[in-house]
Amino acid sequence: MNYRIKFTKLEDLMYISHLEVIKTLRRIIRRAELPAAFSQGYNPRINLAVGPPLAVGLISRGEYFDLELTEEMEVENLIRDLNAVSPNHLKFLKAAEIPEDIRSLSSLLDTAIYTINFNYTVEKSLEAEKEMLEEFMEQDEIMIIRHRRKKSDREIDLKKRIFSAEITEKNKWKFAVVTGSRGNVRPEELNRALRKIHSEIKEFSPLQVIREGVFVRDGEDFYPPYAEKFIGS
Amino acid sequence: MQYKKKIIENLYRISSPERYTGNEWNSINKDWTSEKLKVALAFPDVYEIGMSHLGLKILYHLINREENMLTERVYAPWQDMEDLMKEEEIPLYTLESYHEIKDFDVLGFTLQYEMSYTNILNMLDLSGLSIYAEERGEDAPLVIAGGSTVFNPEPIADFIDLFFVGEAESFIIEFLNKYQSLKAEGLAKRKILKKLNKISGIYVPSLYSEEYGEKGEIIALNSEEGEKERVKKQVVKNLDQAFYPTEFIVPYRDTVHERVVLEISRGCTRSCRFCAAGMAYRPVRERSVETLMELAEKALKATGYDEISLTSLSTIDYTEAKNLVKKMTERFSDQKISVSLSSLRVDKFSVELAEEVNKVRKTGLTFAPEAGTQRLRDVINKNISEDDIYSAARSAFENGWSKIKLYFMIGLPTETMEDVKAIAEMAQKIKNIGQEVRKNTKKRMRQIEVSVSVSTFVPKVFTPFQWHEMDDVETIIKKHDYLRDNIRGRSFSFSWNDPELSRLEGVIARGDRRLSGVIASAWEKGSRFEGWHECFEPRIWGEAFRENEIQPEEYLRERGEDETFSWEKLDIGIPKSFLLKEYKNAYNEVLIDDCRFADCHGCAICGNFEVDLELVGGRTNELQN
Repeated sequence: MNYRIKFTKLEDLMYISHLEVIKTLRRIIRRAELPAAFSQGYNPRINLAVGPPLAVGLISRGEYFDLELTEEMEVENLIRDLNAVSPNHLKFLKAAEIPEDIRSLSSLLDTAIYTINFNYTVEKSLEAEKEMLEEFMEQDEIMIIRHRRKKSDREIDLKKRIFSAEITEKNKWKFAVVTGSRGNVRPEELNRALRKIHSEIKEFSPLQVIREGVFVRDGEDFYPPYAEKFIGS
Repeated sequence: MQYKKKIIENLYRISSPERYTGNEWNSINKDWTSEKLKVALAFPDVYEIGMSHLGLKILYHLINREENMLTERVYAPWQDMEDLMKEEEIPLYTLESYHEIKDFDVLGFTLQYEMSYTNILNMLDLSGLSIYAEERGEDAPLVIAGGSTVFNPEPIADFIDLFFVGEAESFIIEFLNKYQSLKAEGLAKRKILKKLNKISGIYVPSLYSEEYGEKGEIIALNSEEGEKERVKKQVVKNLDQAFYPTEFIVPYRDTVHERVVLEISRGCTRSCRFCAAGMAYRPVRERSVETLMELAEKALKATGYDEISLTSLSTIDYTEAKNLVKKMTERFSDQKISVSLSSLRVDKFSVELAEEVNKVRKTGLTFAPEAGTQRLRDVINKNISEDDIYSAARSAFENGWSKIKLYFMIGLPTETMEDVKAIAEMAQKIKNIGQEVRKNTKKRMRQIEVSVSVSTFVPKVFTPFQWHEMDDVETIIKKHDYLRDNIRGRSFSFSWNDPELSRLEGVIARGDRRLSGVIASAWEKGSRFEGWHECFEPRIWGEAFRENEIQPEEYLRERGEDETFSWEKLDIGIPKSFLLKEYKNAYNEVLIDDCRFADCHGCAICGNFEVDLELVGGRTNELQN
């Protein structure tokens, strides 16, 4: 039996890395004493697959993993059992039973949506913010230097990587950007690119960012990875 | 004050921020009410090292069980975090509530190795406290320390208000209650300290002093009037009944030991003459199989770990070792829980036991022959023969292990170059055995790998070798060079310790109170984390010794039989005469047996603590025959 499970990683755990999250999930599953299926081989592990990594320093309201159980479970009970033994800022929101041949999370999920709460050196009205964003998105290309750990810096174009951008309310910038195997955009890079043309935006702080979640893009729309069209019920 | 927001806001700028955020599963965040005594437990090294320390786990859960107390953790910040804290004016804080250390009543350090002493000073300073006990005011937290190197507390005596000598879990609650009531009476710190010094096992260094002779030797140990002359180590009397935590904190970050750690026994009477723990942690006490099974069950459920580690000074000597391992593997194998063993001896039985727990995955097996020749192994009373070693190695290879790690020491008393050569020969022979087994086996086997790790012998206090001099740097280097030249090739790896670092460890290990000044100078000049090879700067220490007019060599020399030692203010329950007799036995290559399985040798520990050895399998261990 396979389940696709949505979870959050909030402020207290913002500095926990992707690999540490996976390790933590395995331990939570053990503590919950779920009938988890194990991998074969010398070093059997709980069968678990996660979506694209969430960078260290970011919090998210919607990450996913797939879990295989040896027995069927009510999804409500699954969520209840997991939440009973998980840290406060790592909580499970929803689970869906999925067919075995469903596309994997890493191949489906291609979009990350961020809400960023920028600070300015001078007070800005909602209209002014909207104009700033418009000006930003009207550029033909948005070049930025990407700093890569243990690799040389590289120049990339953010323009192709931003699917949509809007100001949802005062001080809330919402970006849908590419993630996963087709590239990614870091919120800190959006901040740097914006500051190039709007120097009144203050420097980046990770506390200003919320990843609303990861999604599957279809044209202008974004779906969760257990939407009916993927489960095919 | 709490600094959570400021900390969280800035942590993205440094490496490994999850060292500094806490919030782990099973961490305990109690309400900060005024009636509670607040204790910060500090480990003077980074998070991932400190989180693996068993003693602190025990104390953390023991103190937090008390309604009128709370305790939280703090570890040494790495250099980048120290810089950030200074830049942003964030004082040292605990991982549970993010309260600064000054908000606590007690700050307790665990002493694990001499090379972390500068970190203690740094942590005091980052807390906004003076490093010197006498300069800290009435409002400052009481700074206490205990742990494995407490048996020579003098080098850090100027910094610490009081030491716990022995197993703190046996008296820390009583102590904290006493401190709380003395504080409530409004007594001055000095008065409180004098009263606390009345408790057995408590050592308040400011009530004691040392006198030195012309050559720098100690001529008198003094105590203030009315104070006890010697401080007797405290021990847990019934280990099986003693408190043991099961709700271990589960770190997010990779730490040294990510598993349920079960202490199956404490103490060791093998009587290896170099071993500090072997003397200091006597008597031997074991936990029962039933207790251990119950603890394992609870701890696995509470943590979600997939491994249990059975730990003690010598796992194989646990009188119910075979039975315990069998029960554990039977009980937990369907949950894919693996069992691991620490501190195996070099014998066939160890291999059998390792085979039992490692039916599937065989990574590496570690043996510690300690010395290359039988003569030298007899000097140190390492009761194993050449035959034991080779048959253990053969049996390991035959059981499918391809990687064997060997531990040796250089610089042991009476060592000659012949003994050093024998280390290389033994490594070579073990490799040959492995290759022969591999050639003749029908099973698939990886390339044989023998890794040889050589540490430099450091004479430790309260051991038979406490009188012995330490090798000089040139001699150590000569021995390293020989081994490096003769343990080479594809199947070998060879590792060794920095000779300068070993010498410094040697100075502090048998040092006296005058070293406090040296440690303070080294810290002021920026020395931190000496235990991390890349952080150790001999130049700084050279300057620190010169400034304080201390000759480090003085501490490494051979000591006279009649000399008074700085650490003799403490009483570990074993008379000096026994240690001296053992020192002489070493030179005469006289072996003594383990008193668990043979006659008593008169170390006097049982009588001094009015205990008998607590052996759950009885006094005869069939496994030893």
